[in-house]
Amino acid sequence: MASGKKKRRQSNEVTTQDAVLAQNLDYQAPGRAVGITAMLSLVAFTAVFMSYQSTQLEPDDPADLAQSPVVENFALPADPLWGFVAITAGEFTMGSNPQRDRMAYENERWSSSQRQGRVELPEYFIGRFEVTNAQFAYYLTETESSSAALFAALDPELPVTSVSLPQMLSYARWLDAQLRTSAATPAVLREALKAGSKVTLPNEAEWEKAARGTDGRLFPWGMQPSDAYANVGGSSLLPVGSHSCEPCSYGLSDMAGNAWELTRSALVDYPFALSSAEALLDVDSLWVMRGGSYQDSINNVRTAVRGAVDPSVRNPTIGFRLVISPL
Amino acid sequence: MNTTEIDPRSALRLSQVVGSFKLPMALTFAIFALSFAPRIAGNSTLMYSFWGASAILLLWQGFMLIHLARRPALKDFSRAIYAQHYVQAMVQFSVYLYWGYYWRPVYDHFWLLAGQVMFAYTFGMLLAWSRRRSYMLGFGPIPIIFSTNLFLWFHDDWFYMQFVMIAVGFLGKEFVRWKRDGRSVHIFNPSAFSLGFFSLILIATGTTDLTWAPEISSTLTLAPGIYTYLFAVGLIVMYFFSITLVSGAAAITLFGFSALYAALAGVPYFLDSEIPAAVFLGLHLLITDPSTSPRTPLGKTLFGVLYGIGVFALYTILGWLGEPTLYDKLLCVPLLNLSVIGIDRLVRRIKSDAVLNLWNPAWFGVRANVAHMVVWISVFGLMSLLGRTDAQHPGDSVPFWQQSCSAQLPNACARLVSVESTYCGDNAAWACNELGAHYREGLIVERDADLAYSYFARACELKFQAGCANLLQEQTALRAEPLELDLRLMLRQGGKNLIDTPAPELYARACSHDWAFACERSAAAGE
Repeated sequence: MASGKKKRRQSNEVTTQDAVLAQNLDYQAPGRAVGITAMLSLVAFTAVFMSYQSTQLEPDDPADLAQSPVVENFALPADPLWGFVAITAGEFTMGSNPQRDRMAYENERWSSSQRQGRVELPEYFIGRFEVTNAQFAYYLTETESSSAALFAALDPELPVTSVSLPQMLSYARWLDAQLRTSAATPAVLREALKAGSKVTLPNEAEWEKAARGTDGRLFPWGMQPSDAYANVGGSSLLPVGSHSCEPCSYGLSDMAGNAWELTRSALVDYPFALSSAEALLDVDSLWVMRGGSYQDSINNVRTAVRGAVDPSVRNPTIGFRLVISPL
Repeated sequence: MNTTEIDPRSALRLSQVVGSFKLPMALTFAIFALSFAPRIAGNSTLMYSFWGASAILLLWQGFMLIHLARRPALKDFSRAIYAQHYVQAMVQFSVYLYWGYYWRPVYDHFWLLAGQVMFAYTFGMLLAWSRRRSYMLGFGPIPIIFSTNLFLWFHDDWFYMQFVMIAVGFLGKEFVRWKRDGRSVHIFNPSAFSLGFFSLILIATGTTDLTWAPEISSTLTLAPGIYTYLFAVGLIVMYFFSITLVSGAAAITLFGFSALYAALAGVPYFLDSEIPAAVFLGLHLLITDPSTSPRTPLGKTLFGVLYGIGVFALYTILGWLGEPTLYDKLLCVPLLNLSVIGIDRLVRRIKSDAVLNLWNPAWFGVRANVAHMVVWISVFGLMSLLGRTDAQHPGDSVPFWQQSCSAQLPNACARLVSVESTYCGDNAAWACNELGAHYREGLIVERDADLAYSYFARACELKFQAGCANLLQEQTALRAEPLELDLRLMLRQGGKNLIDTPAPELYARACSHDWAFACERSAAAGE
């Protein structure tokens, strides 16, 4: 109690001292004008700063991007067709015959009455290599994606993996638009695009024909298993084209092993048929991937093997390659 | 050797002067220490924001001490413990606790709230002392900080702006004043003042995304029965501080206008409520500062009515301008604060005894406020009975908006797109695919192939097969029924998602939302 009174007395003394001192000072407390100026300065600073932040949030004007001169071929291979290979029109054999291929899975059978089928395809172009990190990073950079730096930091020669089906299709759509508008696009490709083809993922038949050719091979290089032409049973992804494959159909690389390659075909039982968009509504959302990966054993890198994943899967063993297809 | 005699009185004073800075010093170091809490240290910008705030406060104290070393003066406090402050703070804190239980970021924000409260105390002290006043030490800064954060806080990477906002609020309270009934008082409610200024800046610069404001205004309803909860805690404030006429008049005005619009247009005015929950919060805890609202009963009523009209009008104006409508509840408060003296004058001019007596406190004797509360309780009870508060609202139903859009009712198509955008943001694949279809078809929105593609891509990622089909075929705009998971996300009625709801219950609820396919499934399951 006494302590409380003492404290109160001290407090009173302090207040009195302050008042006395204040009277003797020539110091003027900041007035209203100073205070309001300070406050408005803070508000003005906020407005200017937030205005600057808004410019950071806005993407660059697409018109500016369009006007930037295209001096590169979008990180595609520097050969006459920018890494695309023409697959001539015609029939090929699709699916597996267990009598010739003891490793065949049930879902490779054509129908209950037929082991394999014949599929006719028009001419199309397919990438010689799987799409690389460099190509995908180029696309992400051009479209100002927030994940551009992530992919740009990866080994540029490795196949791009851990991307979902919609991301792959978005890349294909972007490249399609670039090839249509770039003056540097090889004439053959430009003609194909002009005639109605588009850059996309291969469907199952396009992929399989490119892998096995028209002579019904079990592997891209022939009928016998071999690890000389493919990154299979390995420990990691390798740069695309690390295993050159002269005997392979159409000279394509990594059609067996390295990374699984996602297609634009939904997983439905054979016989293969081009599905209408409406027909896709009746099937599960599982999408076929082909070719096996470096982690797989030799039986999973056969040309007829069909794996499937859902469209959101991002897996370090799943990549893709592109086609320019009229279908 | 020269020696300088030290005046023992001056030495004593200097030590006393330094001693009087113990509290602001301690708070400044507490802000600095708080920056090492894992929640804050986890983000370097956030940590630097706290360091910056501490440094500014420290510099300010240093500047004052240097000045006072030459002309010693003590800095002191006077006690100012007002129920208005601590009751308001407790009510606000209870809202944080209840809301945060259902929306975790609120609890994660507590560390930042603590930092802001300490900053506000220190800033207030230094400001008062710089103005050569005693600092009124009480709970005053707490409701200011709590009320600001109930409506707006910045993302961690821009959190330093939160300290700027507090500084603006306190400077406004200190310097923007007028004489009212012979006393110098602040014109603006401090939190509403800074919220108003910052709202304008965020709108003008299009930087709302740097804040949590959209999430704050839309997540209140995650807490079940939030209207009833706010109503109940609002009664406490009404009882103690006689602000029933302000809150009640604002709520009744908004209920009335909403009902009138719905009757005329056939669709709700606000998307999925008669009064958005954040507005309901605002009219209980933002506009009820007695020192910045009118003093006469009729004046309070007018003030509440004007707030209701202001929110109602701003909702449309902001929407029309393409700006976030969430600012409707914030922008009109400073304008209303400015009109307070005018309102009081207007009321005094009314010579009609009939009008004045109706609102005269004496009419109900000393129990006038309780009588007003009874009226408000009755109105709220009636609205609840009519299902216009926490119950299912027609605007919660997507089919309702689809049908309204088809019938070309006012704003219905824009609202449909808005509702679907919300659900797509919640990862309801069906809603993403619908949005893609709208933008590809160009019937109810302007055709935009790229935007359509991105919505289809999102739908496809979410395993909605129609989305994938639309992605592959750029000429189609295929649709399909929602997946079960979509229903769990889209039937939440503003609350939490229905992940654990049994399927039959889910389809029954979908049926009550007019999903025809769900009614068939529900009926089939019952057979």
